[in-house]
Amino acid sequence: MGEIGANGPGLRPSPPTLECRDLSAGYHGRRVLDRISFRVEEPAIYVVLGPNGAGKTTLFRTIAGILRPLGGSVLLDGRPYDEGASRDRFHFLSHIDGLPDGLRVEEALRFYAAVEHATQADVDRALRLLEIEPLRNRFVSELSAGQKKRTAIARLFLRDRDIYLLDEPTANLDPKAASEIRDLILRLSRERVVLYSSHNLFEAREIGRYVLAIKEGRLTLFQRIADLRTAKYVVGVRPWSGGEALADRPHQGEYALFELPGPQAVAGLLRELEAKAVQIREIREMGNPLEELFA
Amino acid sequence: MTVPSVAETPLPSLLAVTVRRGLVAGRLYLGMGTAISLLLAIVLLRTAHASTVFVTTFPLEIPMFAALGAMGGLVIFTGDRTKGVFEYLIAYGVRPRRLFADYLAVTAILSTIVLAAALTVGLVGYRLQGFSISGDLWDEILGYTIPMTYASGLFAAVAGIIWSTLSTPRAGVNSPVGLAPILGIAPPVLVLVLAESVARSSYYVVTVGASAGFLAVVGLLLAASGRLLSRERFLSPA
Repeated sequence: MGEIGANGPGLRPSPPTLECRDLSAGYHGRRVLDRISFRVEEPAIYVVLGPNGAGKTTLFRTIAGILRPLGGSVLLDGRPYDEGASRDRFHFLSHIDGLPDGLRVEEALRFYAAVEHATQADVDRALRLLEIEPLRNRFVSELSAGQKKRTAIARLFLRDRDIYLLDEPTANLDPKAASEIRDLILRLSRERVVLYSSHNLFEAREIGRYVLAIKEGRLTLFQRIADLRTAKYVVGVRPWSGGEALADRPHQGEYALFELPGPQAVAGLLRELEAKAVQIREIREMGNPLEELFA
Repeated sequence: MTVPSVAETPLPSLLAVTVRRGLVAGRLYLGMGTAISLLLAIVLLRTAHASTVFVTTFPLEIPMFAALGAMGGLVIFTGDRTKGVFEYLIAYGVRPRRLFADYLAVTAILSTIVLAAALTVGLVGYRLQGFSISGDLWDEILGYTIPMTYASGLFAAVAGIIWSTLSTPRAGVNSPVGLAPILGIAPPVLVLVLAESVARSSYYVVTVGASAGFLAVVGLLLAASGRLLSRERFLSPA
């Protein structure tokens, strides 16, 4: 993937602050989000986690101004969201691609460029950035799911924005493409606030700095991911030799499992295994603290 | 140099690109509607009593095929809704009412294409057969064919749009797009059957009355659409 470019981060002098204050939202009067409050101001990736139907998409739609709140408010830099003035502060990527029928890839980007007052040069740069230049004359309907996703993501780079609301941006992408997109979003998050929903917990842990957990429309957790602790700290040891000494341990695949009080106990475990002449090929955490947020 | 704020500049019209998309996505319907209407015009001109049959039948048939040919507006509306295009546009500040108006404009433009093609071929063919276009024929075209063409197409589009936004997205012939042509074709078929069965003196009462009544129905639907098509109705399932 190329550079984010001249239209990338750096236009605004200070990072934006986004605050949801007692925010309730839903459809046809039925509440999906119930009095959610949080404030983000540090440029970073904020992973929004929750089971299907928890309200992640509804949260993004409400922050982006697509849905009007049923209660509470969205504040941007301390001021209430304003449909006229605030709309050029956000970029929203839906979990579906949002690519119009009957257009070619370049035309689809030009369609959005017109709405965003972006130029042909911006379209060309977005095509290059997402490496979809060879697809520019293909009809959107002819693209694979992964190619559609890349095209949809290219739309995010037509214009610079302060806050990026990305609803499952790596869904339908192959591992290499997903990794490239994550890298692009990571670079973006150095100077921008990115709210990022994903069902991939390993991805979330890899790129996220904060996690917002939503369950049944309520915010159940907002914390730095590095500070999350699993209820049980389990490490897996894959031995090179001397594995028979671990035969009495529970196993997960090739890994012998050890439940420890915390990461600080790993050094002691290593000494213990060394004393038993176990040569270690690999040792790693077996649990993902984010998994427990889905429980 | 700084990039102008989107909020400071008015949103551009998307009508031209929406019309082009309607032509591409609805080309099959447009092709069918135009081809059948032209074929029927030619068939009617080849009948034994062409001058009479053409005058009483041709103006009544065009709205049916125009309704079929104008499905492109509904096709792209349902596609844009299920594919999340509206979410982006609303996020960028495009108002749902404006989106709705654009799709109806596409429907009207596609109706015009079928209408213009059918009238041109039919009336030129009629004249080439040596018949003169009577005042009665003009009255039928102006009093029924033209208003009913737009009424049928818009009725199918508005009903299909409202229906598609009130129901879970479905694909295929069981979807609003699959069934909407029937909604558009049914009224002119009923008028055709009715007009052919009444006395000649009542013919204009039936046709002009039907087109006026049907236009009123479309007007009522359009008026109700503001309430039925809330912002949430434009969104794909979360």
